This record gives sequence, structure tokens and C-alpha cells, in this order.
Amino acid sequence: MVSLPESRHLAQRLLTYEAVAGKSSEPTESAAFRVCAKLRRPLITLAGVAGFRSLLSRALALARADAPSLSKVQLAADGSLKGLDQLEPQIDKEQAGDEGAILIAQLIGLLLTFIGEGLTLRMVQDVWPEAALDSRVSEKERKA
Amino acid sequence: MSAQDRVIIKRLPTGVPGLDEILGDGLPEFSFNIIAGAPGSGKTTLAHQIVFANATPERPALYFTILGEPAIKMLRYQQQYTFFDQSKLNTAVRFINLSQVVLEKDLDAVLEEITKQVEKASPGIVAVDSFRTVVRKALGGTSEVELQSFIQRLALLLTSWQSTTFLVGEYVEGEIRDNPVFTVSDGLFWLYQMSERSSIVRKIQIVKLRGQASVPGLHTFRITHAGLQAFSRTLGLAGQARKIPSTRRLSVGIPELDKMLGGGIPEGDSVLVAGASGTGKSVLATQFIAEGIRQGDPGIVVVFEERPQEYAERASSFGLDLKTPRKEKNLEILYLRPLDLSVDETMHEILAAVQKIGAKRLVIDSLAGFEMALAPDFRADFRESLYRMITALTGVGVTILSTVEVNESFTEFPFSTYSISFLTDDIIRLRYVCIDGQLRKIMVVIKMRGGNHSKDIREYEITSKGVVIIGERLTDYQGLITGIPEHLNRSGNHEERSHKPKSKTKS
Repeated sequence: MVSLPESRHLAQRLLTYEAVAGKSSEPTESAAFRVCAKLRRPLITLAGVAGFRSLLSRALALARADAPSLSKVQLAADGSLKGLDQLEPQIDKEQAGDEGAILIAQLIGLLLTFIGEGLTLRMVQDVWPEAALDSRVSEKERKA
Repeated sequence: MSAQDRVIIKRLPTGVPGLDEILGDGLPEFSFNIIAGAPGSGKTTLAHQIVFANATPERPALYFTILGEPAIKMLRYQQQYTFFDQSKLNTAVRFINLSQVVLEKDLDAVLEEITKQVEKASPGIVAVDSFRTVVRKALGGTSEVELQSFIQRLALLLTSWQSTTFLVGEYVEGEIRDNPVFTVSDGLFWLYQMSERSSIVRKIQIVKLRGQASVPGLHTFRITHAGLQAFSRTLGLAGQARKIPSTRRLSVGIPELDKMLGGGIPEGDSVLVAGASGTGKSVLATQFIAEGIRQGDPGIVVVFEERPQEYAERASSFGLDLKTPRKEKNLEILYLRPLDLSVDETMHEILAAVQKIGAKRLVIDSLAGFEMALAPDFRADFRESLYRMITALTGVGVTILSTVEVNESFTEFPFSTYSISFLTDDIIRLRYVCIDGQLRKIMVVIKMRGGNHSKDIREYEITSKGVVIIGERLTDYQGLITGIPEHLNRSGNHEERSHKPKSKTKS
């Protein structure tokens, strides 16, 4: 079972990966925004817009307990995040990265709770196939 | 047109043990089917089982979810089943949520989205869960003609794209006549969940299946951690060749009784041993099975009133070793006493054991215990189910000895409380009689379908060697079968019979 620190670690890995990728693609978007946007696609396919929005809404509520500045972030009807990018200019970059990681970690944590480690890691791996996200993921894949 | 010119319809496995046989060898490929039933009847689990059994990365399964059970929760629960192969997700099995299209748009948009996904993936299997939701939404602002047109276009699309389709829905039986989806469908599988007193019984019916002969009627099924398991009414023996009748006689392990039976029980017969409590029915049955083991006939004993270990222990008190053959897999003692057992499920368990060890002899001890182990709903079908099992097993050469307890009466001589004598080829009746101030036991062969048998009424005892017949036929008494015989030509002096202590017997 992946624990919360591990989901936080996985979230951090995704953000790092997207931060590097973002430099060449859409440098104006935050890494957290891009991770959310990328996870949105398979989750909407699976659970519908309403299903994805419910999950992200819960993740946002949980994340706000650890990062109150996320209260400025709003969730649109289509499940997209508004205001995540505006966090960065107001506070230092490192802290913004933390807030993004907290939100992504909560979203991944919810997926782990509902559909389990196997399906969650598989979904994440499908979105970022080229990224060696977690040594344990790779280990699992090898065993499979 | 000759048989060679006919199109050959490939059959797909359902992944549900027992269901392929009920369907008539699996699901017709490219068929358009409906899985119907009330909430909780197992529709989604059945659809998932079919999907996971057939989906490959080359011909994936598309599972469209619509409003019903949230997809995340569906995955949460369905992955608990052993058939749910996580490695197939998003490669061979793809879940697609259509809720928004259904909610916000019309049937044309739904069809357009399904078409887009089907053309992209070229799926071998397509499931829509719940299709009922699509129809309900459509009925809000769509005419019946438009709905029928949508269903026909959907069926046409999916068949043309060589997909085998399953529309899952919570329908009620009254809808069959009016709902166009039932007209268009090739197959209609109806799942039921019935309650009878405190028991729940699940049944499946193949209401319709074009192109092949399915087994009619309601078949019981169970949902376990492995998913659905169905139990065909034909017990999986439909079309099985009957064995050529044997002339072999099987020893019961009681030489005098073998003589009374004209040399033993004809192989492949069904024998009923009837008697009151304590008359030695179970001991006789144990001797029959032990003698079979001794002669190289593997055997099965089905018990409902005591556990296998206890049964084997009791046999050893009569000098009958059942422990060694159990270890050597020549003997299986099945203890079947869970609640809500269905007859067909029990029969399948017995048949599986028979096939596993190649059993030649089967003991059912007792029919009363068997009936009590069943859910109330199945007790009504007990005789019919027993008939099917006995016919099936004796047909393949297994000799069955069943015990049945009868209430001892001193005004009549009943053979069974179940009116199942017609199911048996041979009947051995054990009973108490009151003779000379003692409660003794007599035995008589009532019937042997396979030939002549002794008409003698013989006295027997239960000793440390089991059932032992003593003396010649009782000629000095009249009215023995009433239980209260009259002594003929009584001289006044008669010898008091001594009694050896007997072994522990089952009451």
C-alpha cells in the first residue's frame, strides 16, 4: 500500500518531471496545473467530468488544510483549476511547488484509496510512460 | 444448402464456470445481447467477467459507463474479484464514461460518441452499463420510433464492426413486450435474486439466444470472490453418452445380503436403504463403500449430519478402514452443510468429486440431511433434482446407495417419506420388530429392477463387524413387516438369545 508520504513523493516526481518538460513547452503554466490537466484526461474518460470534478474538489479541500493559500484556487465546472498559476507570483517559487505537490498528493491519495495502488500507478504510468516515476512502479512492472 | 455451406458462428467463452454449457457452448460472436435484472442481481459482475475473459490488446473491450454506478466505485469493487486482471486495464479493457453526453445531448450524440470510440479501438467486446439510463433519458423527449431507430443503428454499428455487445440494464419482466431493445437483441440473459424466508437464491435464465440451443429454464448461480459460477440444470451432463449397461454385480460387503440381492447390486443401479433411526442404514452404506474400495472401486460418501473425520472414525469402530483410501485419494467424504445450498450446486460438487477420483460407488447419507442442507426454495425441487442427478450418474455407470429415514409405523410399511421409490432400482428395507419381548431388526429386499431377488425376511444385528445377518429366514412368525409379528406354533419354551455388545452406531 502506498502511504501518504509516498503519494507525496510520487506527486513531487510528477511535478519535477512536468517542471522540466514545461520549460520547453508551456513555460507560463505551473507544473501542478499541467499535472492536473494531464490526469484530467484519463480520469474524465473513466469517471466523467462530474466524477473527476468531485475527486479534485475533495483533493482541493484536503490540501487546503495543509496549504491555506490554495483557497484562492477555484474549480471550474469542467474540472479545470483556476488560479493555480496566480499562486506563484505572490509567494516564493519553492512554496508554490509545495502547494502544488500537496494538491497532487491528495488527488493521488484519493485514487489510491478508491481504486488501489495497482490501478492508480498503472494510470499514472499510462499518462507519463516515458517517466521513471517510482522505482517501486518499475519493479512492479518488471514482475508483471 | 448443405451443412458445409452454413456460416459457422464462433462461440466466445463467458469466463463464468457453467454458463457456457447453459448457453449451448458459449456466446455467439458478434451477437447483440442484453443482461437484465434488478439491482444487486449481478449484472455488472457478469458483464465484467465476460469482458475480462475475452479482451485482448488487439481486440479490446470498451466498457461504456452511464450514470449508474460511479466508475471509480465500480473499479474499486470489481477489482476484488479474481477475474479482474489489472494488467488489462487501459490496454485490453477500456472504461469510457458517457454520462455527460447522455445528460447534455441527444441519442444521435450518444451514437456519435460510441461510433467514434468503436472506430478508434475496433473492439471485440462492447458493454454499455447501464443502457437503461440511455433509454430512460431518451424517452424524455424522444419518440418510440426514434428510440427504436437508435437501437437498430447501434446494433448495426456494433455488429458491422464485429463487436459482441452487452447492454446492461435494470429491466422488469413486464417490459419485454414493449421495449424495442428486446426485439433487436440476439440474446437476453435475465438475472434474478429471490428471497425465500431467510434465504437468498440467485438464478439466471437465457430468455432468448438466436442461432443456438441454450438450456431452458432457471439455473442457479452463486457470486463468490471469483465472480459468478452457474449451475446448469443438466448438471453439465447434457449430451453425455450413456454407458452400456453392465452385467457386473457389486458386493455390499455383507455376504448374506449379496445372496439376497441375487449376487450383489447390479452396477449402475440406484439403491435405497430405508429404515428407522438406529437400524444400521449408515453402517450398511459404509460397508458398501468399504467393500468397493477393497475391490478397487473408488468411492464418494456424501454426508450431511457428521463431519468426514467422525464418519471415518465411526467406520473404524466396525473394522472398516476409510482413512487409508482417503489419503490415497480412492475415497472422498464430502461434508455438505452450508446454508442456502442449491440442489444443483450440491449436485455439481458431487459430480466434480465423482469425476475427480473416477468414483464407481456413491453413498448419499442421508436424503433427509441432504434436503435439510438446502435453502427452502430448493426443497420444493428436491425430488426433481435428485431424479436428474441419479439419472445422470447411473447413466455413466456409477452405483448410488442412498439412505433414507422412515418413521416406523406398526400399521404400514413405508419405503420412503419422499415418494422417490420410483427413482431407485433396488430397495432394501430395514425395520424393527418386536419378538419375544425384544426389539430386533429385520431386513428384506423389496425390489430389484435388474432381476430376481430373495423374498426372505432375515434377521440381522449390528456387531463390531457392522451389519451381520443371522440365521435363516424367519419362518416361525406371521406379520413380521407389521413390526408386531405373531409366533406360529409357539411351544411355550423358547431360547433366549444372547446379545454381543455392538460397536458405536449412529442413531
